[in-house]
Amino acid sequence: MSNGDLLHVVTNDDISPRRKAFGHGIIWGSAAIMALTATLQTLQATGHGDWGFTTWRPTLYAFCLWATALCWAQVLIRGEQGKRTLFVLPAALFVVSLTVFPLLFGLLIAFSSWNLSSPDGRQFNGFDNIRQMWADPFYWNAMWNMVLYTAAIIVEYAIAFGLALLLNAEIRARKFFRVAFLLPLMLSPVAVSWMIGKSMLEARYGPLARLGRFLGWDTPSFFGTPEIARLTIMAMDAWTYIPFMMIMILAGLQAIPKELNEAAKVDGANGWRNFWEVTFPLMLPVSITAILIRIIFKLKLADVVINVTSGGPGGATDTVTSFIFREYRDRSNVGYGTLLAMVYLVVIIIAMTILMKLADRFARPRT
Amino acid sequence: MKVDLYNAMRSKMSRRRMLQGATALGAVTAMGPLARPAFAESHGNVRAEILKIPGVGAGSPTDADWQKVGEMTLGATKANVAEGEFAGVELTFFGINNNGLHNILFRGLLKGWETYTGAKINWIDLAQADYNPRLQQSIATGTVDFDILAMGAPLEGDTASKGLLDEMPDWVKTQIEMDDYVNYLKAPVGTWDGKTYRISIDGDCHTFAYRTDYFGEGAIGGAAVPKTWQEINAVSKAVIGQTDPLTGQPAVGYLDPLKGWGGFGFYFLENRAAAYAKHPNDPAWLFDPETMKPRVNNPAFVQAIQDVMDLIAANAYPADQINADPGTTGFSQFLAGTGSMLMWWGDIGSNARTSDTSVVGDVVGFGINPGSDKVYNSQTAAWEETYNEAPNMAFLGWGVYVTNRVSGDEKKRKAAWSAAAHLGGKDLSLWMSAYPSGFQPYRNSHFQYDEWEAAGYDRAFVEDYLGSNADSYNHPNAAVEPRIPGIFQYYSVAEDELAKGYSGQYKSAQETADAIAAAWEKITDEIGRDNQIKLYKASLGL
Repeated sequence: MSNGDLLHVVTNDDISPRRKAFGHGIIWGSAAIMALTATLQTLQATGHGDWGFTTWRPTLYAFCLWATALCWAQVLIRGEQGKRTLFVLPAALFVVSLTVFPLLFGLLIAFSSWNLSSPDGRQFNGFDNIRQMWADPFYWNAMWNMVLYTAAIIVEYAIAFGLALLLNAEIRARKFFRVAFLLPLMLSPVAVSWMIGKSMLEARYGPLARLGRFLGWDTPSFFGTPEIARLTIMAMDAWTYIPFMMIMILAGLQAIPKELNEAAKVDGANGWRNFWEVTFPLMLPVSITAILIRIIFKLKLADVVINVTSGGPGGATDTVTSFIFREYRDRSNVGYGTLLAMVYLVVIIIAMTILMKLADRFARPRT
Repeated sequence: MKVDLYNAMRSKMSRRRMLQGATALGAVTAMGPLARPAFAESHGNVRAEILKIPGVGAGSPTDADWQKVGEMTLGATKANVAEGEFAGVELTFFGINNNGLHNILFRGLLKGWETYTGAKINWIDLAQADYNPRLQQSIATGTVDFDILAMGAPLEGDTASKGLLDEMPDWVKTQIEMDDYVNYLKAPVGTWDGKTYRISIDGDCHTFAYRTDYFGEGAIGGAAVPKTWQEINAVSKAVIGQTDPLTGQPAVGYLDPLKGWGGFGFYFLENRAAAYAKHPNDPAWLFDPETMKPRVNNPAFVQAIQDVMDLIAANAYPADQINADPGTTGFSQFLAGTGSMLMWWGDIGSNARTSDTSVVGDVVGFGINPGSDKVYNSQTAAWEETYNEAPNMAFLGWGVYVTNRVSGDEKKRKAAWSAAAHLGGKDLSLWMSAYPSGFQPYRNSHFQYDEWEAAGYDRAFVEDYLGSNADSYNHPNAAVEPRIPGIFQYYSVAEDELAKGYSGQYKSAQETADAIAAAWEKITDEIGRDNQIKLYKASLGL
C-alpha cells in the first residue's frame, strides 16, 4: 500500500485487505487510547487511582483524536463512500468539544463537592448534592417562583393580544404607537433593572413611590415584602417582553385575509363572535409559538432579579437561575450549582415537551 | 498592650496629645535613613501642592485631577526607573470599579507613570460584589490572567498560601517607606511564611459616623452621642416619627444594611457583634481557635442579630431598607442626609467633606465602634455585665500585590512592582486619604493635622475624623480580620442567611444564626479543618 492509496479515489472492490486491516487497526487503536485516557482520568478524579492528568483536557484531545481517526478509518475501509464521513468531521468535532464534552464534564462536576478555596479541589461525593437539593427549601421556593412567573405569561398574552388588536385597527398615529410599544423590548434587562427597579421604583425619591405616598401609601416599598416584590418583578419582566408577544401576534393578525372577517360580518357575526370564532382560532398557531418562546425567555429570567433584589427579600423573588448563580458566585458551591443546573435542564426539557404536545393537541382541532 | 494599661494611658493623655506623638513619630520616620535627602525639600512641597488638587470644598476630583496628582508624585519612581525603561511592557491590573473609586482613579493616577516608563496597563474591572467570585475562579481554574492585583489582606490566605504572589523586592520597601505604616498593618499583615507580598494602600477599619445635629441639648436624638449599641437602638426607636433637622424628611436613627454585598456586607453585623462577642481576654471571636467551631451562633451574635430584627419590627429603618446594601447606607443614605448614625469604613469621613454628593459635611462627627454594656465570654459561656468596646478591623485595608505571572521576566516584574509602588507611594497615599478614593489613612504620616488643615479641612473635623481612625487602629481589643482561605465564602453565606432572617424566612435570630453556623461548618470541612485551624491561630497571633 502506497501513501497515495490512503485517500485515493477507489471503490470497495479495489481496497486491499491490508488497507482494510490498517483502517480497523486505527479504529481500535484510537478507541483504546480514548478508553484508557478516560478511564484513568475518571479513576483519578474519583479518588480511586494515582494515574491520570491534572485536567480533563487530555481526555478531550483523545476524544477528538478518536473522532478524527474514525473518519479517516472509514476512508481507508470504504474508499470513496467513506469520504462522506470526512465531511461530517468538522461538525462532529464542534459538537463534541463544545456540547457533548462540557455536558459530560458537567455531569461529573454535578456529583462532586467543589469548594474553590479547597486545596483538594474537586471531590466526588456521590448523591450528596441531590440529597442537599431535596432538603433545600430555598431551592424549591425558587422553583415555585418559576411556576408563578411562568403562569403570569397568560396575563402577558392577554395584554399583548389586546395591544396587537389595537395596533391592527385603523387608529390615529398607529405607526407612532407601534414604535412606542416596542421600545421596552429594545432595552437590555440590565438597563430595565436600573431605569425601573432602581430609579422609578426607588422607595424614597422614585416618582412611583412619591405617587404612592400621595395616594396614601405611608411607606411605599416595591421590593420590601415577598408578595409585592414578586409582583413587581413580574411587572418589570412583563413590561419588557409584552412587546415581543405583541409584535408576533400583530404580524399574525396582518396575515389573516380581511375577506374572512368581512364574510363573517355578512353572515351576521358581531365583533365578539368574529373575534372568537374567526380571528382567535386562526391566531392559535402564532399564539402558541409566541407563548412557547416567551416561556423559554421566562425560564431564563435572572438578570432583573439579580440586579434589583439579589433574589430578596430573603429569597422571595429568586428564580432558579438566580439561585444557581448565587450558589456559584457567592458560595463557590460549584458542584451543587452544577447539579441544580443539570436538574433544571432536565425539568425544562420535560416541561417543554409536555407543553408542546398539549399545545399541538389543543390547537390542531381549532385551526 | 494590656487593656488596663491602655485605659490608664487614655485617661492621662488626650487623644489629641496621643496623635501629636504619632505625628512626631511620622516626621522622625520621614527624616530617617529611608528618606533620600536630595528629595526631602521637594517632598514637603509636593504633599502641600497635591492637597490643593482640587481643594477641599471645590467638588469631587475629576480624571484630570487624578492624572495631575499622579504626575506630581512620580519623584520616587524616577529615582528607581529610567525614562522609557519599560517600553513594550504590558501589564494587566485586576481590581474593583466602584463609582469614582479604586480602579477608576488608579487609571488617572498611573497615566503619568505609563507615559514616563513606557509601560501600558490593561484593566480588569469588577463590581464589588463580583470581585471575590472572579478571583476565586481564576485561582481554582488556574487561569490567573492579571499581573497586578488590588486585594485585601483577608484574601492572602487564598493567594499567598498557594504561591500565586511575587515576593516584594527590597527596593520597593525603600521606595514606599514601609516603616511609616500604622502598626496594625505591619507584619504579619501583608506577609506569608515570612515573605512580604503587599503594598498597603488603605487602612480599613470600621468607624462610627454620626450627625451632630441629632445630638445635644434639646436635639431629637438626645443630649449625648450614643456610646453603646444599647443606646443606639434606643435612639433609633426614639426618633421614629420625628423630622430630620437637616432635610425635613422623616428622622432615622442607625442605618444597618440589610442586603448582602458580595460578602462585604457581613462586616456590618460584625460591628454590632464585636462589642458583644470580642472579649478582651480572648483574641478569637468568629471561631473557636482550637476546633474552628463557629461562634456566629453564640448568644453574642444572636444578640446582634436580634438587635437588627428588633429595629426592623419597630419600623426604625427607612422604607425598603431590606434592599439597602452598604453602598446604599453609606453613599445614598447617610451622605445624602438620610439617617443619623452609621458604621462604615473611615473614608466615609473624607467623602463627607469632599464629595459632591454629600450634604452632611458640616454636621458629621466620628468615633470608634460603639461598645456594649455587657460582653459574652466564650470561654466561660457566660455574659459579663461590664462595658466592652472592640473596633472592627474590617478587611485590613486594600493592598496592591504582584502575581507570580511576572516572576520569570525581570523587566516585567520590575515594571509591575514599580506601578504598584507608585500607587502605594507615601505622598500619593496622603492625597488618597484626604479625597474620595475608597481608602482611608494608613500611615503614621497621615496623621499630621497641619497638612489636612492647609488643604482646607477645618481643624476640629480633622482631629475628630483622624482621631476615630487612630483610636480604632491602636485599640487593644480590636477585632482582627482573620486571614484564612475562603473567608469571603464564610461572609457571603452569612449575609445570605442574614437576609433570609431579616425578611422573616427563619423563625428567630437563633435559627438564623444556626443556619449561618451550619453553612460555616460545611465550608470548613470542604476547605480542610486542620489547615484552617492552623491559619486562624496564626492570624490571631496564637
